[in-house]
Amino acid sequence: MALTVLRLDGVSKLFGALPAVDGVSLEIERGEIFTLLGPSGCGKTTTLRLVAGLEQPDAGEITLRDRIVASVPRRTFLAPHRRNLGMVFQSYAIWPHMTVFENVAYPLELRGVRRAAVRERVAAVLELVGLAGLETRAATLLSGGQMQRLALCRALVYEPDLLLLDEPFSNLDAKLREQMRVELKLLQRRLGVTVLFVTHDQIEALSLSDRVAVMNGGRVEQVGAPRDLYERPASAFVRDFLGQTVILRGVVKELASEDVAVAMEGALAGATLRGRTAPGAALSVGTAVQLAIRPEDIEVTTAGDADGNALVGTIEALLFVGDRYEARVTLGGELLILLLLSRARTWREGQRVQLALPPDLVSVWPA
Amino acid sequence: MTPTSPTGGRVRAIGLRRASRVEAQTIFCSVVLAVVAFCVLFPVVLVVLESFQVAPPGQPAAYGLDGWRAALSEPGLRSALLNTLKVTLVRQLISLPLAVLIAWLLARTDLPGRHWLEFAFWAAFFLPTLTVTLSWILLLDPEYGLVNTALTRVLGKGPFDIYSFWGIVWVHVVTGSLTVKVVLLTPAFRNMNAAFEEASYVAGGTTLRTALRITVPVMAPVILSVLLLGTMVSMQTFEVEQVLGLPFRFFVFSTMVYDLLVTRVPRYDAATALAVLILLAMLPLVFVQQWATRRRRYTTVTGQFHNQPHRLGRWRWAALALLLAVTVIVLGAPVAFALLGTFMKLFGFFHIADPWTLDNWKNVLKDDLFLGSLRNTLVLAVCTAVVALLVHSVIAYVIVRTRYAARRVLDTISWLPFTVPGIILGLALLWLFLGVGALRPLYGTMAVLVIAGLISGMPLGVQIIKSGLLQLGSELEEASRIVGASWWTTYRRIVLRLMAPTLMAVGMITFVGAARNIGNIALLATSQNRPLSIFQLDLIAQRKFEEAMVVACVIMFISLAGALVARFLGLRGSVG
Repeated sequence: MALTVLRLDGVSKLFGALPAVDGVSLEIERGEIFTLLGPSGCGKTTTLRLVAGLEQPDAGEITLRDRIVASVPRRTFLAPHRRNLGMVFQSYAIWPHMTVFENVAYPLELRGVRRAAVRERVAAVLELVGLAGLETRAATLLSGGQMQRLALCRALVYEPDLLLLDEPFSNLDAKLREQMRVELKLLQRRLGVTVLFVTHDQIEALSLSDRVAVMNGGRVEQVGAPRDLYERPASAFVRDFLGQTVILRGVVKELASEDVAVAMEGALAGATLRGRTAPGAALSVGTAVQLAIRPEDIEVTTAGDADGNALVGTIEALLFVGDRYEARVTLGGELLILLLLSRARTWREGQRVQLALPPDLVSVWPA
Repeated sequence: MTPTSPTGGRVRAIGLRRASRVEAQTIFCSVVLAVVAFCVLFPVVLVVLESFQVAPPGQPAAYGLDGWRAALSEPGLRSALLNTLKVTLVRQLISLPLAVLIAWLLARTDLPGRHWLEFAFWAAFFLPTLTVTLSWILLLDPEYGLVNTALTRVLGKGPFDIYSFWGIVWVHVVTGSLTVKVVLLTPAFRNMNAAFEEASYVAGGTTLRTALRITVPVMAPVILSVLLLGTMVSMQTFEVEQVLGLPFRFFVFSTMVYDLLVTRVPRYDAATALAVLILLAMLPLVFVQQWATRRRRYTTVTGQFHNQPHRLGRWRWAALALLLAVTVIVLGAPVAFALLGTFMKLFGFFHIADPWTLDNWKNVLKDDLFLGSLRNTLVLAVCTAVVALLVHSVIAYVIVRTRYAARRVLDTISWLPFTVPGIILGLALLWLFLGVGALRPLYGTMAVLVIAGLISGMPLGVQIIKSGLLQLGSELEEASRIVGASWWTTYRRIVLRLMAPTLMAVGMITFVGAARNIGNIALLATSQNRPLSIFQLDLIAQRKFEEAMVVACVIMFISLAGALVARFLGLRGSVG
């Protein structure tokens, strides 16, 4: 049975009169990587700091395993050092006056672990991330990637109930970031530690997490598995924040349960496209709507006339980006959209193309 | 920023009420604020009140405007005010352009030996003013001064007279005015983004044009800030005028205040009215200075820029010669002649037969008064440094690391003593200790002098610790809290260890400040707690220049040793 490690119950935090975190409720289960994803200023880091005990909530309750660590109605607050959490900071916060060994040994010392055991456990955890042999090195002489590994060791060595990661990859270069992402996931699977991860990078969030909570303006917009979020966003914010989206405007012409036929407007006037009602959207004939589809779901062929659920466009600009092409395509002479084209075929600027939009992958949202 | 407070460590576990935790922190911070406000503001208020108290000492209090009338109308007092402004203005006009040039050369060019030269300015910054003044008397005394006697052979008479307005300005420029500006401006120039200058070179600007059109304007807020600091410091001047001004009856406000207080019938009302006038003159400077400091964050970009030093080319050696000459004037000559003066039978008389002797050292070192004063100085300096370190670091910690509502007020108040001239602070504390019955037993003890040093050292001490804490970043502390350390453990094992060099450096600066302090304590010292600096002043008043010189050298050695230690501990002019 899944065990809840962390529970947030209507947690709010005000900065002045502004709610940085606004009634957030979440449950995080043992052994999962749970990610808070959102643009900067959405309250994700504040939420993490509330969990850590570095901020005090203004409303709500936070429960770690079976202990209430912060509760406004009960007027209790547990200081951060009594929560048994691990945390990796964005700046790593490696103590510059200590060696690698001392940095990792410090939390064990605080817990009264005996010297021989400290030595053993530090060696084991350093071995785990490939820092073995660097024990006596001054912490300031490490590279960025090494510092990050060290921060991870320091957070893991005392087997915390929950590991908090605050944008840990943002100070690494692109190559190292990818590598650390894989390493972290492998390590987490091996140790089975529960992770609460904060990031603004959707690729990091989607690739690393078991579940993701997308936050916006201090509130949780949607919680779900990465693939669910990507394919079935519950709100326009989640849809636009995750991945690329092609958006077309129109008015509902026919409605049959989930199937919607939309009369296009503007540059595409005259065309009709079919799609599915977005989750939770209430539509009726005559509603102004947006059709949304992921660029990679559009099937592009060299073509003559629009046929079925399809549009005709012209490649205006073609950018070769290595693994594929990115194309700016005009529809109806003026509307410009971004498409991803396969490298398998040859494309050229000025070429006329047909864009097939599979109705199952087109979602219809109230405008 | 962390919500952790110095009291937060006591919060134990579930069940402890959240409200009480917040209150404890607020109460702690409020106590700190109240104590600091009392120490800083109360003396000032007292001075203002005293200026209206016209009854002679010992008589029942009576209030009136006689003091103010005297300050505003008596020609002697008026001219003292005017002299203060004149000396201040001329000092700044001469020293600022020179300091900007020197700071630019030290920070942004490939001047040979620039690191050593910067260190020389740092050391000179620590030289006791009175010692330097005595050295320059040896050189520029109108009759016996070495420079004058040397030039007499050529010109027929010595051209210089140190006992003159320009003599006073000269000594000021080569003591405080120039070195303090160089010490403050050099790091600021070094941290400027070189891209501003490089863009100008690429656009076709010459070195001179770039320096004048880009570097100096970009740095203008910093330069303004340093100018204002310098102006405030120079309005507090005391020793130089006390030694050089008296012989030709030249008074500035501080020496006039001193004069009014140590005459047979002290005129407290006039003295305090004069003091209030100077405080009023300081006020606009305070506000402009705070404004400039705040603005400056946006104009100078500090950080990790690879600053390619600018090539001086053929100007290299000319610049080096200039700086070496300045270094000799501000450091070499004062130190050498201070030492030389101690070995003279008659201070300043180089032309008598066999002028050298060891008797001065023997006499002074055997003198019980000297030994007592030396002991007093060391006790005073150590106590002040320890107490100040404790108090200043608590203030800085509250300002930087808590969300206490009035932390801005605390910040401003902790900075205010900078604007209170030492002699006024001393006067106010004198009133405080003599006027408040409960505090009277402290008068004549070391505690009085320690408190004076604590207050006068507060602005610099708090500022340096503050910037150290800001650089430290709160995540290093938070990381320790998260892995299971209480607030107190974190403070001991993380904050104190990381701040140790900064704190030690601040301690050394306070130590040196207390050892050479004169203005603050001239009115407070008695025969029981008299430190070396006042002993030296007494020797000068008795015209025992040879022995005063020995004492001056002892203070100088203590100061320079402190400067060396502070520098070694890594304080590289992060002041200001």
